[in-house]
Amino acid sequence: MIKIKYENVVKQFPGSDHLAVDNLNMEVHEGEICILVGPSGCGKTTSMKMTNRIFEHTSGHIYIDGVDNRDINPIELRLGIGYVIQEIGLFPHMTIADNVATVLVEKKWPKNKIHQRVEEMLNLVGLDPEIYSKRRPSGLSGGQRQRVGVARALASDPPVMLMDEPFGAVDPITRARLQNEFLRLQEQMKKTIIFVTHDIDEAIKMGDRIAVMRYGQLVQYATPDDLLSMPANDFVSSLVGGNRSIKRLNLIKVEDIDLYRPPEVAEGDSKTKVVEAVAGDKLGVALVVDDRGKLVGTVTNTDLKRKGEYVKDIYAPAHDLVGPKSTLRDTLSIMLGYGEGYALAVDQEGKPRGAVSVDDIFSAVKDNE
Amino acid sequence: MNQTLWDFFITRQDLLLELILEHVGIVLLAVAIAIVIGVTLGLLSSYYSALASIILPFTQIMMTVPSIALLALFIPIFGTGFLNGLIGLVIYSLLPIVRNTYIGIKEIDKGIIEAAQGMGMSERRILLKVKIPLALPVILAGVRTATVMITGIAAIVSAVGAGGLGELIFRGIARTYRDMIIAGTILISLLGIAADYGLKAAERSLTKQQS
Ligand SMILES: Nc1ncnc2c1ncn2[C@@H]1O[C@H](COP(=O)(O)OP(=O)(O)OP(=O)(O)O)[C@@H](O)[C@H]1O
Ligand SMILES: [Mg+2]
Repeated sequence: MIKIKYENVVKQFPGSDHLAVDNLNMEVHEGEICILVGPSGCGKTTSMKMTNRIFEHTSGHIYIDGVDNRDINPIELRLGIGYVIQEIGLFPHMTIADNVATVLVEKKWPKNKIHQRVEEMLNLVGLDPEIYSKRRPSGLSGGQRQRVGVARALASDPPVMLMDEPFGAVDPITRARLQNEFLRLQEQMKKTIIFVTHDIDEAIKMGDRIAVMRYGQLVQYATPDDLLSMPANDFVSSLVGGNRSIKRLNLIKVEDIDLYRPPEVAEGDSKTKVVEAVAGDKLGVALVVDDRGKLVGTVTNTDLKRKGEYVKDIYAPAHDLVGPKSTLRDTLSIMLGYGEGYALAVDQEGKPRGAVSVDDIFSAVKDNE
Repeated sequence: MNQTLWDFFITRQDLLLELILEHVGIVLLAVAIAIVIGVTLGLLSSYYSALASIILPFTQIMMTVPSIALLALFIPIFGTGFLNGLIGLVIYSLLPIVRNTYIGIKEIDKGIIEAAQGMGMSERRILLKVKIPLALPVILAGVRTATVMITGIAAIVSAVGAGGLGELIFRGIARTYRDMIIAGTILISLLGIAADYGLKAAERSLTKQQS
């Protein structure tokens, strides 16, 4: 089903001699993430802002559920569309809870329902309400602010979301984590999302469909797979980059491949038990889990040289972990970063799912091509 | 403090108290009126740039007119007395309040306003819930400047018969009664300092609340 449709949409800013958006024709399918990607100034933000009428388009039509957005009262329109802006734009004079509650207050929800919903949203984006509800935005890190921005946009459960570089202002590791969490949420929410990014790796990872823009024009609109295998022209090829096999790694997630499971030992197990386990494993590693089954560390031959009677005395704490939504590209970076031949995968609860080795990555790429 | 000045404070305390109340009264009333007019003008200017380009220079020019001349010019219109003095003080308080309201609103991060719009807030709601609260510390700083400034200028409105501590200075000059002049000056300065401290503390607690 088509949720949002752009028909010959043109935007010329007053006093400007060029078109910021030049005859955009595009259909966004319900429940999909549509990525707008392209160089700075190509019209991504402008296209997005015309959707909720922050900017009025010069000509053409934008339909939402088949209704021309100019026929909808702007306030009504915006209350139904979640909005995460490039600058985050949290209200500095309000608490985190009040920020998240903004749309709910505008929609005149009762107080107790708002309170409950705000807690739910903060938990959803991984911020403990006990700690963060009463803080101001200035007391949060960049990544936490972006989470709040997303929580605020999601609070009223709008069917459509506009997200302008929502994970732009954070380091690569935090960004990968935010991306993974968001993909996991989207799996349940099934919202129609327009998502702007500069980063082609992010586009391939997050997008169901990618719109490549240049000079205000739509250059190619395709699935990530098609974009990689059939770039429409040299511009798209160069945007995707020379090494397409590496980009392809963004398409495959850890949850998509079969994982090898190294042996598991408990923290309280004796050293003799773990010596056997390590010796019998093809990667030469045993996974250490705590009493709740969470992966806490690993034991390899190096660790066995350490003095101690039990596993808990000798194991190395786990660091290089990936989740089900991590891409093989993320996984490869982590492996290279730690100089290991494998990375360990855990599920949402932190329980071990297995190990991803370099061989797994090779064969996954081969199968995918 | 010398003995005769001290005696003056003691023996004339009833008069002094009355004049202090008069002085504080006219200043507070003038500031209150200036807040209503000034904040309104400042807000309107932030919406209509054409209006801003008239109002801001106009208040600026009014400031450069010497206060004694302004009050004298008003005599044919408002006569002498309280009303004349009050209007003069209101005009002097306007500039810092109008300007700070305008700047306070204009300096708000564009992203914050846009986020508010994008959330579906109406312009009226944005003004009440976002713009005014965020501009408040800056507006309050303008109110403080205005209050401190007209606490001093209010000494001059006594010349047109509007009362206040300026009476002491003018009567003292007429009678070459030095202690009376000094007493008036000290009390006016103290009032100015008190206003400055009080409003600064209010600003500070507001900024602290917001960050
Ligand atoms: N409010 C505005 N007034 C005038 N021109 C504007 C305005 N906003 C954007 N433009 C112009 O429109 C064009 C497209 O800008 P837009 O913000 O959509 O780019 P973008 O693709 O989002 O870039 P970036 O990746 O840097 O965010 C640019 O040439 C820009 O200068
Ligand atoms: Mg942009």
